[in-house]
Amino acid sequence: MSSNNFCAPQESASILAALLEKSDDAIIRADLDGVIIGWSPGASRLYGYRTEETIGAPVGMLIPEDKWDEFVRMLDQIRAGIAVNYHETVRRAKDGRLLNVLISILPVSDHTRRTVSALSIARDLTVLKRAESAHRASDAGWRAIFDSAVDGIIVIDAKGMIESFNAAAEQIFGFRADEVLGRSVNVLMPPPYCDEHDQYIASYLAGGPAKIIGIGREVTARRRNGEVFPARLAVGGASVDGQTRFTGIVHDLTERVEMERRLREQAALAKLGEMSAIVAHEVRNALAGVRGAVQVIGARLPEGSREAAVADEVVQRLDALTTIVKDMLLFAHLPEPKLEPMDVGQLVASTASFARNDPAFRDIRIDVLGSAQAILGDADLLRTVLLNLLTNSAQAIGVGAIRVSIGARETVCQIVVADDGPGVPPEIRGRLFTPFFTTKARGSGLGLATAKRIIEAHGGRLRVEFPAEGGTRAVVELPALTSAVG
Amino acid sequence: MVENSARLRILIVDDEALIRWSMSETLIHAGYAVTEAGNGKEGFQRLADGPRPDVILLDYRLPDSNDLKLLETIRHVVPSSQVIVMTAYGTRAVKAGALTLGACRVVSKPIEIRDLAPLVHRAYESRPQ
Repeated sequence: MSSNNFCAPQESASILAALLEKSDDAIIRADLDGVIIGWSPGASRLYGYRTEETIGAPVGMLIPEDKWDEFVRMLDQIRAGIAVNYHETVRRAKDGRLLNVLISILPVSDHTRRTVSALSIARDLTVLKRAESAHRASDAGWRAIFDSAVDGIIVIDAKGMIESFNAAAEQIFGFRADEVLGRSVNVLMPPPYCDEHDQYIASYLAGGPAKIIGIGREVTARRRNGEVFPARLAVGGASVDGQTRFTGIVHDLTERVEMERRLREQAALAKLGEMSAIVAHEVRNALAGVRGAVQVIGARLPEGSREAAVADEVVQRLDALTTIVKDMLLFAHLPEPKLEPMDVGQLVASTASFARNDPAFRDIRIDVLGSAQAILGDADLLRTVLLNLLTNSAQAIGVGAIRVSIGARETVCQIVVADDGPGVPPEIRGRLFTPFFTTKARGSGLGLATAKRIIEAHGGRLRVEFPAEGGTRAVVELPALTSAVG
Repeated sequence: MVENSARLRILIVDDEALIRWSMSETLIHAGYAVTEAGNGKEGFQRLADGPRPDVILLDYRLPDSNDLKLLETIRHVVPSSQVIVMTAYGTRAVKAGALTLGACRVVSKPIEIRDLAPLVHRAYESRPQ
């Protein structure tokens, strides 16, 4: 204590007394034979011995048997003038309890610099150890909750780097935790969000308004395979030890959104059904009246006159309107197919010959190739589908040939309506089956939507392909009779 | 002009005036005797007034008659008249119902005016002897 900047030499004694009195550490002084010569109140509190019980007693009474060798080694070390620093070991209290302690032993020398005694300072680690083990247990418990959560839980730091990624998040995003830990959370977002996310965090940390933190909202997220999906995201921010972290809880909404879409579609169909009943009677009936009247008047006009031609044109326009109404009615009230065994070849042939008589097919040749086994089908409805596909092709090519090929695989009968027209631009291919979507100047946009519903009501599939060499192929697949029955 | 049809009597029941007019003009031109009714009540009146029509062109849906109610009445009052039901709303159920109640044909509107006289003639020819 001769040289320190903590206190003046004359203050040393009182400061030492205060330290010894108040320190919770057990401070013991022993001679080099291990006999206790000094015992602090903190030592009494830790080991349970009163001061008078210890002075003159051997330090060995505090050493459990299995630590005896270690104690002898430490004593030798001190005799050699070498300190023991922060050594974790075990001591025994008066009542026999074993205590985990962190011990430092310092050799004390006299004015000749000879080591004359040892000063031991021991800190109780038992409470700390218990807390540590409780902490480990709670950490495991927390981990179990974290990984069994149904929603994805993602923890990121203030820079947006992923620190934790639970099992549900792995499931939702298709990433393993080890693939994303340490990476920016923006790998889970599609553009433009992934590019803007760093800025969101920075602006929030700079005191900007919270856009999502503490609020939660629907977002668009991205899976490992690039698929973009709707999700509900709730984010909480927390500061631990001065470190800001954000916890995001992600709920995949794909199924719910899909279900909502289907419900909306059904509701729209129901409304359309109600509307179509009115349209059918009011509009179609009126159209029929006007058409009849114009035809009668037209028949009285001089043959070949301009007026007679106009009357004919009016009738054609009315027919186009009637067709749209008819399409709407069929779409809104698609009848349950009346399934009967039928020959696909015959159906195609009769539909093709019906089409050939239609003025819209004046410049079109329809080639029918192949044959297939019988199917169970509703001839009226399937004819509607075929006529629709033929009409689409005819409108696409204007002049030329449509090839209808019939083929069969084991359980499937296939009808392909192919043309070498301009096809459909890639950007609208995904919408071909969307009701009311049309690229034609005149059309209801219900043809393919209705055709698809009819084929699906037969347990079949309808798709439209665009071969690399150009043109369009509409492919109808229907279950063959054998598989439909078996 | 359809042969042997000069004296055939046709009743047209439809609330759409233009339909009545165009059909009636066409059939008169073809040599038929035509009467018209704009609703179920008038239709029933024409039957009561007589003479009995050979063929009745009946709209499926009339403002004062529930769907096929008038058809039932007609079958009862003038069972030997041939009835052609016309519908703008030709679902399969409608067609099946009309045929069950004794209509000889169910046709969808609009009816091609050029086909009207042959249609009526065939209906008459197909009457039970």
